[in-house]
Amino acid sequence: MRGHLTRETLLKWAPLFVLGVLLLAFPVFEMTNAWAKGKDHIYLLDSRFLSIRNFARIAIAAAPALMVAIGVTFIIIMGSIDLSMEGTVSVTAVVFAYAFIAMGATLASWAWLALPLALVVGAAVGLMTGLVHVKLKIPSFMASLAMGFVGTGFALLLTGGDRVRVEDPLFRSLLTERWLNFPIMIYVAGAFLLIAWFIQTRTTLGRNFYAVGGGEELAIASGLNVNKVRILGFTLAGICYGMGGLLAVGKIGIAETVTGANFMFVSITAVVVGGTALWGGIGGVFNTLTGVLIVFVINNGMVVIGLPSYIQSAVLGILVIAAVILSTDRKSVSFVK
Amino acid sequence: MYELQNVDKRFPGVHALKAVDFKVNRGEIVGLVGENGAGKSTLMKIIYGAYQPDGGVIAIDGRTVRFQNPRQAMDHGIGMVFQEQSLITNLTVMENIFLGFEQQFVRFGVIDWKAMTEAARHQLAKVKLDIDPATVTSKLSFAQRQLVELAKVLTLEERIDGDLVILLDEPTSVLAREEVELLFTIVRELTNRASFIFVSHRMDEVLELSSRIYVMKDGEVVDVVSHDEAEIDAIQRKMVGRDVDKQYYREQKQKPYDADKVLLSLKNASMGGKYRDISLDLHAGEVLCLVGTEGSGREAILRTIFGIERPDTGVLTIKGDKIARFSPQKGVACGIGYLPRERKIEGIVAGMNVYENMTLSQMGNFASLGVLHIGREKALAEEQVRSLAIKTPDIYKDCGGLSGGNQQKVVLAKWRSGGSDILLMDHPTRGLDIGAKEDVYDTIRDMSDAGAGIILVADTLEEAIGLSHNIIVLKDGEVQKHFAGAPGSKPSLYDLVHHMI
Amino acid sequence: MERIKPHLPWITLVALIAVVGIANPAFLSPASFIVLTADVVPLFVMALGMTFAVYIGGIDLSVQQLANLVTVIATVYLMDFGIGVAVLCIFAGAGFGALSGFVTSRLYVPSFVSTLAMGFVALSAARWLSGQRALHMDAEQRDASFGWMFENTAGIPNELIIAGVLLAVCWFLQTRTTFGRSLKAVGAGELAAVASGINVDRVKILAFALSGALAAISGLVFSVKLSGGDANLANGFLLLAIVAVLVGGTPLTGGVGGVVNTAIGTLIVMVIRVAMVYLEVDATQQQMVFGIVLIVAIALTIDRSKLKIVK
Repeated sequence: MRGHLTRETLLKWAPLFVLGVLLLAFPVFEMTNAWAKGKDHIYLLDSRFLSIRNFARIAIAAAPALMVAIGVTFIIIMGSIDLSMEGTVSVTAVVFAYAFIAMGATLASWAWLALPLALVVGAAVGLMTGLVHVKLKIPSFMASLAMGFVGTGFALLLTGGDRVRVEDPLFRSLLTERWLNFPIMIYVAGAFLLIAWFIQTRTTLGRNFYAVGGGEELAIASGLNVNKVRILGFTLAGICYGMGGLLAVGKIGIAETVTGANFMFVSITAVVVGGTALWGGIGGVFNTLTGVLIVFVINNGMVVIGLPSYIQSAVLGILVIAAVILSTDRKSVSFVK
Repeated sequence: MYELQNVDKRFPGVHALKAVDFKVNRGEIVGLVGENGAGKSTLMKIIYGAYQPDGGVIAIDGRTVRFQNPRQAMDHGIGMVFQEQSLITNLTVMENIFLGFEQQFVRFGVIDWKAMTEAARHQLAKVKLDIDPATVTSKLSFAQRQLVELAKVLTLEERIDGDLVILLDEPTSVLAREEVELLFTIVRELTNRASFIFVSHRMDEVLELSSRIYVMKDGEVVDVVSHDEAEIDAIQRKMVGRDVDKQYYREQKQKPYDADKVLLSLKNASMGGKYRDISLDLHAGEVLCLVGTEGSGREAILRTIFGIERPDTGVLTIKGDKIARFSPQKGVACGIGYLPRERKIEGIVAGMNVYENMTLSQMGNFASLGVLHIGREKALAEEQVRSLAIKTPDIYKDCGGLSGGNQQKVVLAKWRSGGSDILLMDHPTRGLDIGAKEDVYDTIRDMSDAGAGIILVADTLEEAIGLSHNIIVLKDGEVQKHFAGAPGSKPSLYDLVHHMI
Repeated sequence: MERIKPHLPWITLVALIAVVGIANPAFLSPASFIVLTADVVPLFVMALGMTFAVYIGGIDLSVQQLANLVTVIATVYLMDFGIGVAVLCIFAGAGFGALSGFVTSRLYVPSFVSTLAMGFVALSAARWLSGQRALHMDAEQRDASFGWMFENTAGIPNELIIAGVLLAVCWFLQTRTTFGRSLKAVGAGELAAVASGINVDRVKILAFALSGALAAISGLVFSVKLSGGDANLANGFLLLAIVAVLVGGTPLTGGVGGVVNTAIGTLIVMVIRVAMVYLEVDATQQQMVFGIVLIVAIALTIDRSKLKIVK
C-alpha cells in the first residue's frame, strides 16, 4: 500500500517536477556556456534566464494562453474536447475592440462596459457550442471544430480582415503598469486562476465536471442532469476564452481575426502536459498552470540560451511526449489510442 | 404498499411484460428470479422509473403514480442499487453518495464540505462502514463499494417521508461469502425502514433472504412462492419450464483424461500482490478448476497463462516449449484460447459481425499473403452457427447485438474452429440463462473429449464440482488444496468452502 | 431509418450538389467539376491517410506538418534525385508516422498528443532543412520529373487518377486484407483484439505509418503543384482533412466508416467551399457560412446509433 501511495504521489507531482527541472536546466546550461567561454566568474545571479525581468516576460507570454487553457481544462475533465477556442478568442477580442472604441475608447468612460461584454460574448459562443454539442448530439470534437470555423468566420465578417487598434493608455496599463516588477495583467490572470480554482473545488458545477468525466452513464443514473453540466461547462469555457481574448488584446493592443490563432494547440498541449488526462475525470486548473508554464518556459529558455529557433518546436514536441509519459500511470490504463 | 397491477410493456417485436402483478408490503424482502430474458430487468426498470409501462397501473399506498425518469421514482422513495458497480471511481465516497443532490450542502453557491462529510458519515453508519467519507472511491474494495452504493440509496430515508422500496440487482455477484452475510444482516436490519426487492441468480441466497419469491418466465409471473414453501428444484423447474436434474453438468459424459500427455505446466509462478508460488499441470482431456473467492488469484493465473499479464517469476511450458516472452499473441500461437469474464469487452468485438469475430484469432488461416478469403470465412461461420445452434438472423449480424449466450458461443466457436487445444475459461456461464449454460457445458465436454485441456474458473461451486476432473483451491493467492473429482467421488461443497475461507 | 443511416453521407453530397446546381446550373458542368475535383486531390490524399488513424479510434494531428516537411524535402532534393525524390518523401512520411504510432502504442501517449508532438518535430525539421525560407523548384527539372501529373489521360487529369488509384489501394487494404480487418478490430474493440492474439501495437504503428505516407504523397503533389516548398505551405489542411473524414462518416470512436466515406466527405467539403463562390457569398462571410453548413452537414450525417454517450 505504501508503494502504491508513493507512486500516486509521484504521478501527482510529476508535472511540477518537470517544471522544476526546466527551471534548473536552463541556468545550468547558461553557466556551462559561460564556463566554456572561459569567463572567470560564474554567478547564478548573472543568469539571464533566472531574472525577474525574464520571468515577467514568461508570465506575460503565458497569461492569455493560461486563460484559454483553464477553459479547456474544464472541458477535458468532463472527458470532452473543445477546439473552438481560436474562433472564440478572435470573436471576443474583435467585439471587445469595436465596442470599446464605439463607447468612448477609454476605460475612464462607459467603454469599460466592453470588458464584461467580451465575457458575455465568450459565454454566448460557448453556450452555442454546448447547445450544438448536446442538443444536436454531435460529439464535442466535431461540434467545437465547426463552431471554431463559425467563430473565426464571424470575426472575419466583423473586421473584414482589418486590424483594430486599442490604444487607450488606461487599458494598455494592463501591460505597461507594473506592480512588483510584474504587469497588472499577471495579477488579473492570477485572480482569474483563483476564481477558476474556486469553481473547480467549491461549487457543485465544478465537482460535477469530475462526475461526468469519471462516469457519465453512472452520473445520469444518479439523477445528475449531465446535459446541463455539459452546456454550462462549455459556457464557462467560453468565458475563459473571452478572458483570454481580453488579455491577448491587452498584451499587443490589437484585435484581429487571427488574434486567436495558435491558441488551440498551445492550450491543449499545456493541459495535457500538466497532467489532466484526455479521457477525463482527473486533473485541474493548477495542473494546467504548471502545464502552461512548462510550455512557455521551454519557449523562453531556448531563446535565452540561444538555441536556433528552428529547434524549439522539436524540443517542445519531445518534452510534451516525455511529460505525458512521466505523468501516465501505465497500470491504470488498459489501452491508449 | 407498493403495487404493480396488470403492467404491460412492449418493445418492437417483443412482448417483454405480460400483465404482471407485483406487490411489496411494508418491511418485506421480496425475491425476484427468472432466466435471462424472462423480463426481470424490464420489470426493474419500470419500478425505478427508467421505463414507462404501456399498460397497467403503478400504485403506492393505493394512489396511482407515474414516473418519467429515475429521479421522479426516487422522489417517491424508490431507489436502485445497481448490479454493475455504479460509483464514479474518481470521486470521493461522499461525493458519490450525494451525487445529483449536492444542493442541500450549498451555501451561497459554495459547497460546505464539512456538512457533507458529516451527512456522509451518518449514511455510512447505516451500513456499518467505517471509512473516511473523503476517501477516493477507487481505493475501496468491491465489497466496500457495494455498501457505499447501499448507503447512497439510503439517503432516500432523509429525503422522503413515506415508505422506501429498494431494489437490489445482483448485489452479491462480486462479494465473498462473509461479505454476503454482512450485506444480508444489514438488509434485514433495514427492513424496519424500507422494503427490498432482491434480484439474484444465486437461488440459495434468494431463498435465504426473501419472504416471498416471484418467479418470472417469458415476461409473466408464473408463481409466487412464500419462504417456507420454497424449494430450489421446484423454482428452477418453473423458471426453465423443465427439470434440471443431476445430469445438468454433464457428469455422465465425463471421461478420464490422458494423464501422460501434459499440455501445459506452470512452475513456481509468482506475481506481486496477485498470487504466490503457483504450480499446476494441465493434461489432454482434463478440466481443471481453480476455486477461490474473489481476489484469490484465479483470474490472474488465467491471464498469466494466456500472456495478458506477466509473472514476476516462474516458468510456463506449453507442449514442451518454454515460454520466454508472455503475450497473448504467443499464447494464441501455442493453441491457447481464452474466454474472458468481460465477454462484451474482451470476448467479442461489438461492431464486427459474426464471421469477422469468429476468424479474428485465426485470420492467418483464411488469408494468403495477407489477403482474406472472405468466402471461406463465411462458410466457417455458417457451419459453426449451425453446430453450436447460435441464434442469429444471419452471419452479417453485429455481434454486439446478440444475446449474452450467443455471444459466448461465438467466442467458443472462435477458439474451437481455430484449433485451440488449451482453453482458459473465466466464468464462461456468467449471466447466461439455463439453456445457454447447458449448451456451454455440452461444448466443454465435447472439447475435452476431443483431447483439449480446459482450465476453468467457474461461476458457482456446484458448476466447478460438476464439471471438473481436478480442482485446485486457492486462498489469498496461494494453493490450499488439490481435489480429484472423478464422477461419483467428487468433493462436496463443504470440502471446498472449508479451504477457501 | 436504420437502413438509410450508412448512406446519409452520399445522400447529403448528392443533395448538396443538386441544391447548388439548381441555384446556379453552371456548377453542374462536368468539365469544371473535374477541374475542381483535381484541385482537392492533395487534401483528399491527406484525409485518406487520416482515415486510418481515425478508423482505429485515434487521430493524426501531424499530417499537416508532415506535408509541410515533404514540400521542403521534395524541393530541396528534386535536383539530386529527380522522380526518385518521391520515394524519399514517402519514406520520410511513413517514418514519422511509424514513430507516432510507436509512441502511442508502446509509450502509452494518446495519439492526440503524440501526433501533435511529432508534428512539432516535423516542423522543426522543415524549418531547418528549408533554412526558414520559401524555396522554389527548378521549373525544368520539375516538368521533367513530375510534369506528367498535370497531363490528362482520356480527358481525366492524371492527378485525379493518382487519387483514384490510392483510394482503390486503400479500399482493398481496408476491406480485403488481414491488416484491414485488424484495423477494424482495434478500432471497435481493442481489448478483444488483444485477447484474440492480434499484434495490436504493430497494427497501430502501421496505421500511423500509412497515414504519414499518404500525408507525404499529399505534400508532394501539393509541392509539385505550387512548384516550391516551405515550412508553412500546407497550413490550413489539417482541420479540413479532419472535417473531410468526419463528415464522410468515420466517427472518432473508431471501427466505423472507412476510406470511401472519406472520398465522399472530401467532396462534400469541396462542394460547400466551391458553392459559396458560385452562389457569390461575400469573401468575408465564407468562413462563417462554411462553419454553419458544416454543423448542419455533421448533424445530418453522423450515425449516432454507435455512440452510447456523446462526449
